[in-house]
Amino acid sequence: MSSGSFARRLATFLLTRAISFAPADTIEWGNAVLGELYQVEGDWSALFWAIGGASMLLKHALVASVFPGRNHPFSSSSNLFRKGGTVRKTVTYATTACIIASLLFLLAPVFRVAVHVSLAQWYPLWHVNPFDRLEPAPQLEALKRQAIQKRDGEAFAFVAVHTPDKSESVQLAEEAVRLNPGLTWVYGVVAVRWSFFPQVERWTSALQTFDPENALPHLIAAERIDIEQEHRKTSRNARDESAEWKNAMAAAFQSPKLETYSKQLEDLNRTVLLRYQINDPFLISTDQLYWRVPSYTASDSSRYSELLLGDGKSREDQGDRSSAFEHYSTVVRFAQTLGENGGFPMAKRLRDAFQRLGSLSEKEGNRQQAELYSILAETADSARKEQTLALRSGLHAEVSRWNALLARASGIALLLSATVVLLCVVSLVVRHRSLRIATLQPSGMTLAFSFAGGVTALFSSILLYISYRPYQEIAQRFIHTGDNTGLADLSRFLFYTQTPLGAVKYHSVERFSFYFWCVVAGLCALILMLSILRFLLRPNARAANRLAG
Amino acid sequence: MAKTPRMSPQTLVVLERFIEQPRVWRYGYDLSRETGLKSGTLYPILMRLARFHLLETKWVSTTDGVPPRHTYRLTPSGAELARSQSATRSVARIRRVALSGGKA
Repeated sequence: MSSGSFARRLATFLLTRAISFAPADTIEWGNAVLGELYQVEGDWSALFWAIGGASMLLKHALVASVFPGRNHPFSSSSNLFRKGGTVRKTVTYATTACIIASLLFLLAPVFRVAVHVSLAQWYPLWHVNPFDRLEPAPQLEALKRQAIQKRDGEAFAFVAVHTPDKSESVQLAEEAVRLNPGLTWVYGVVAVRWSFFPQVERWTSALQTFDPENALPHLIAAERIDIEQEHRKTSRNARDESAEWKNAMAAAFQSPKLETYSKQLEDLNRTVLLRYQINDPFLISTDQLYWRVPSYTASDSSRYSELLLGDGKSREDQGDRSSAFEHYSTVVRFAQTLGENGGFPMAKRLRDAFQRLGSLSEKEGNRQQAELYSILAETADSARKEQTLALRSGLHAEVSRWNALLARASGIALLLSATVVLLCVVSLVVRHRSLRIATLQPSGMTLAFSFAGGVTALFSSILLYISYRPYQEIAQRFIHTGDNTGLADLSRFLFYTQTPLGAVKYHSVERFSFYFWCVVAGLCALILMLSILRFLLRPNARAANRLAG
Repeated sequence: MAKTPRMSPQTLVVLERFIEQPRVWRYGYDLSRETGLKSGTLYPILMRLARFHLLETKWVSTTDGVPPRHTYRLTPSGAELARSQSATRSVARIRRVALSGGKA
């Protein structure tokens, strides 16, 4: 085949295809260009002639699809959705089936909760400060009203623990303890959550009386002193700390246990959720992500340990080995009591304390004990490194993150597809000015959009259901049997679902929110411009029709 | 007054070609060669003129195996518009020449 004949054949093919896409009122003109193609001298000239004609036809097809009133969008012969056609009927039935199937999903309570979860990502976009409240809890207000009516101390405590409003939280905790003094531990949970408020000093005393062996009230007291010092901008050197802070930390280090009341909190959650038939996953597991101990605990404990280790060394140098041993042992004991709550700083102090104890044993000639302390120091160090690696890899959070991504994406797809379907239905009713289904004859474009919307709605409903289902099982298992296996996964999943899709980290939500609204404003402006353009272009068509008449 | 299409320079060139022989049917390819306009520019102009009933069209059958050809001719209103536009352009051209001191 010569290149010349190929060019001409390509030209014919291009024009023929363009004519098949052309609006009905331009087909004649397409054929006119095609007719002239045979008269064009030169094969390459013929190809350029065809390209010009094809681009003209495609431009009209594009304009017709945006402004359907101006031109007929597609030729009747090539219209896939022509009225009365088999394809049209099939598509209509398929669209209806998809929409009905999607709506049937709503009958499943699990799916309704999944939709609620998938919508959580929109919360930061509707609020000026997304950090005001991390968890959406629409049922909390209703529960508070019921608690007031029934004078239910546990319900008060539940709302106090979960409400995003600090002053309300403090007030309700006081009310809960007044109604049921056995709930005094709620002071500990609420104080850890909010750190600093006028009642915290009184609460610390109440907690010390309620649970005298617990280190938590002392740690809360130390944090309060820290915050007050920060307000006064005084020194943070451990040796220069106030006597009040040192007393609080000494009391914490001497306490035989650290109770964070997580078990009591789980029991409270279960009791209230069952009693009031609440099925909101955000109210089940948010406490999993909160600090169990005051946020200053790791730093405070590390600083006080440093102080103790320094004092111990001085005593050791002075020859008072017994006192030095006591100082080092206190650090070891408290670091082990704190466990993971002590974080990396305390893990480092634990290693240091073991090393000092080993050195002390070496000086006393107890080689066996010195070796044991050396092994313990190495173990503490390797545990710290493993903890660092686990935190860096974040493998345990991957599944929850991907599931949350799936839930958020399907939630957005569901919302968009529902909007498209709704707009199609509204436009159909407005166009026909009737609600009778028999009279509603959708255009090809409306049918195409409805079909795409229906299929997307069904597909995203299935995805949302599948991605959320395992977490619903975790939540139900916890509520009904108290089995908290997987509760941490549920918490991580819910945490990720609160980050808008597209915002990489929660810290960037504010910036993301700004860009999101910029895009929304841009799209609105574009739609407005298109609407104005459409309105302005209509009179021309009417004038042409008048001329034709 | 009836609406008229937007009179771009290219539209005026096409109208000038038609007004030279108002009663003669013209082919698209011939018009393209005479005006130097590409098919993608010429046909939208022809379509616009036809939509405003300034141009009449008809199909002419050709020899075997070759598709029929579309031909165009000015309608009376089209001829009137073309003549008025041509006159306006002539006046404008004369004025421009006069203002530039006869250098145009």
